[in-house]
Amino acid sequence: MDIKEELQEVFRDVFDEEGIVISNEMTASDIDEWDSLSHIQLIVAVEKKFKVKFQTAEIIKLQNVGEFIELLQKKLNK
Amino acid sequence: MTNNRINFFKEFFSSPDIYSKDGVELLSLSSKFLKCEAQYRSENINDLQIKKIAVLGSYTTSHLVYVLRLFLYKEKIAPDIYEGEFNSINMEILNDASVLYSFKPEILLLLTSDLDIKDYPPLFSTTEQINSWVDVKIAHYKNLWQRVAQKIEGCQILQSLFIIPTHRPLGNLEVNYIFSQTNCLNRLNMKMIEAKPSNVTFIDMDYLASYIGKKTWFDESNFFMSKQGFSYDAIGVVSHAISRIIATYAGRVQKCLVLDLDNTLWGGVIGDDGLEGINLDPNNAVGEAYLAFQETVKSLKNRGVILAVCSKNEEDAARVPFEKHTNMILKMDDIACFIANWNDKASNLKEIAKRLNIGIDSLVFFDDNPAERQLVRQFLREVEVIDVPSDPALYARAINEARCFEWAQLSSEDIIRSDTYIKDVKRAQLEQTTQDYDLYLRSLTMKARVINVGSAELARFTQLINKSNQFNLRTKRYTEAAIIQMMENAEEYALKCIEFEDKFGNYGIISSIILQRINDTAFIDTWVMSCRVLKRGIENAVLEAIFNTAKSWGSKWIVGEYLPTKKNNLVADLYKELGFAKQTKGEGQGEQKGTIYNIKPFSVEIKHFIEIIGQ
Repeated sequence: MDIKEELQEVFRDVFDEEGIVISNEMTASDIDEWDSLSHIQLIVAVEKKFKVKFQTAEIIKLQNVGEFIELLQKKLNK
Repeated sequence: MTNNRINFFKEFFSSPDIYSKDGVELLSLSSKFLKCEAQYRSENINDLQIKKIAVLGSYTTSHLVYVLRLFLYKEKIAPDIYEGEFNSINMEILNDASVLYSFKPEILLLLTSDLDIKDYPPLFSTTEQINSWVDVKIAHYKNLWQRVAQKIEGCQILQSLFIIPTHRPLGNLEVNYIFSQTNCLNRLNMKMIEAKPSNVTFIDMDYLASYIGKKTWFDESNFFMSKQGFSYDAIGVVSHAISRIIATYAGRVQKCLVLDLDNTLWGGVIGDDGLEGINLDPNNAVGEAYLAFQETVKSLKNRGVILAVCSKNEEDAARVPFEKHTNMILKMDDIACFIANWNDKASNLKEIAKRLNIGIDSLVFFDDNPAERQLVRQFLREVEVIDVPSDPALYARAINEARCFEWAQLSSEDIIRSDTYIKDVKRAQLEQTTQDYDLYLRSLTMKARVINVGSAELARFTQLINKSNQFNLRTKRYTEAAIIQMMENAEEYALKCIEFEDKFGNYGIISSIILQRINDTAFIDTWVMSCRVLKRGIENAVLEAIFNTAKSWGSKWIVGEYLPTKKNNLVADLYKELGFAKQTKGEGQGEQKGTIYNIKPFSVEIKHFIEIIGQ
């Protein structure tokens, strides 16, 4: 499974929606339940799943799912 | 799909799984549960108690509320929750028109933070200056507590005390100067405890933070982004602790620790290894671990937890270590009910509850054998089964972590209680040797004191009302705050309690009664009694006290109501047996409908063998 698919699983669990298919352009406005609170929940769930830790600045900079995947890739390659 | 979910959560709430989930898993579960909560609630409404809870915090509480909801359902509480805005404690309480006051919670959770404090005393402040700084803070909280008490009848406040932060401007010198932030907060916490009124219960957040480890507790990044007061790793432990405290206000109280023997209280098997062979050796690390566990158990007994033994053994062999092993810390006199036989443990636990006259759900089971634990979990879901680790060195920790014996308050009756249970056993032996029951009752030389409830009796009076499930006619629960309001309204309410003793000892206060004067009627709003004193004629003595109050009020009628619950079948016919007549017309007080009975004061003859002192 690649990063995108694994990330998609986390999305499906956090937003409790089996049908979610993530894309690079996707943003918080595309998912009803994606608010500031579930955002933090998402970040923590991703950190746990991929065993990484994001910095505060990295999290608040994220604009869309594509950037999220990029950031993850960068972290995992280190 | 929803039905699958409902079934999943049904299973989940009756298993201990919730305790081993991390923050991320708990959040994921709570968002799934939220979607089927309404259906779960309506399908299980007979099993659940509804509680109105308001949550106000100095930080964002949404995630905590999410997870707390799950833990409350685990305690069979269906919460109606009002959650205030971020940092809204003062706003909600000081504003008469706030949502808090229209919501009228039964429980108000106030989650404060040391970040509320911006004005620490300057360095080199004197004790006097620090005290006046503390006084200002205390006055602020006193004002908040009073306003809540005035505006919301019977509301119990649960408030977190301040956590000592890890940020220490003075480093190790913090602990060396009274004016350091650390010590100012310590002093403030202590003064808060001294100023605590009865409508407030503190939550020891600093303990919880230290228990988890403050390094893990604080998640600065998370705080800066979303103002969460603590990390996701802490959310389960905090919710667990708070849900246990709330559960005590719903009458869910565990009273009795049931212990296995072999490899639980000592190393080895007494039946095989014999007195010399079991390990209770203080010079052996494993033996020491068993002794330390016994020490922990003994300290629970000293605070009023009843101890019982449930072991697969020959009874004579099982008793030997208690009677003959010099290293044993627990003695036969510490054990209120001792069962050692070859029956299955589920049946034995039922027998223990029966003999001690307590509910099965007030038992906590501690057994090193996973098969026995599984059996009890399966057949007696009401019993709290502790996950016992395989290393006896961790037994004491396991019992602390389970947070079983959270009570709303402590009374001196609790402390003597575990001993009176042991006396009960001796009394039962006397009962067997005395043929004529009246003669037996006479021989007990019983005395009862009828007391008008005052501040000295308040804690125990309230505790009885909230803990009694079996001898409880209407199962209405009241907080201390609500009781105080009734005490102050002597025109309308009479609050009586009964203190009881016999030749075997003093039981303290064993019955609480609330009478309400409604026109020419004395209504028995509450009548609860400890089941340890059943069949002694105390019911008749209480009736006499009720007659006396009704007479002093000039009441023509005394009205009582029986509201059936799962647990109070014991008193289903109490009023009938005491000579009340069943009322065919009319309905009970409040929304639930029970069976109504009435009687005229002193219209029946009262017989008992109890000397009544004072009225």
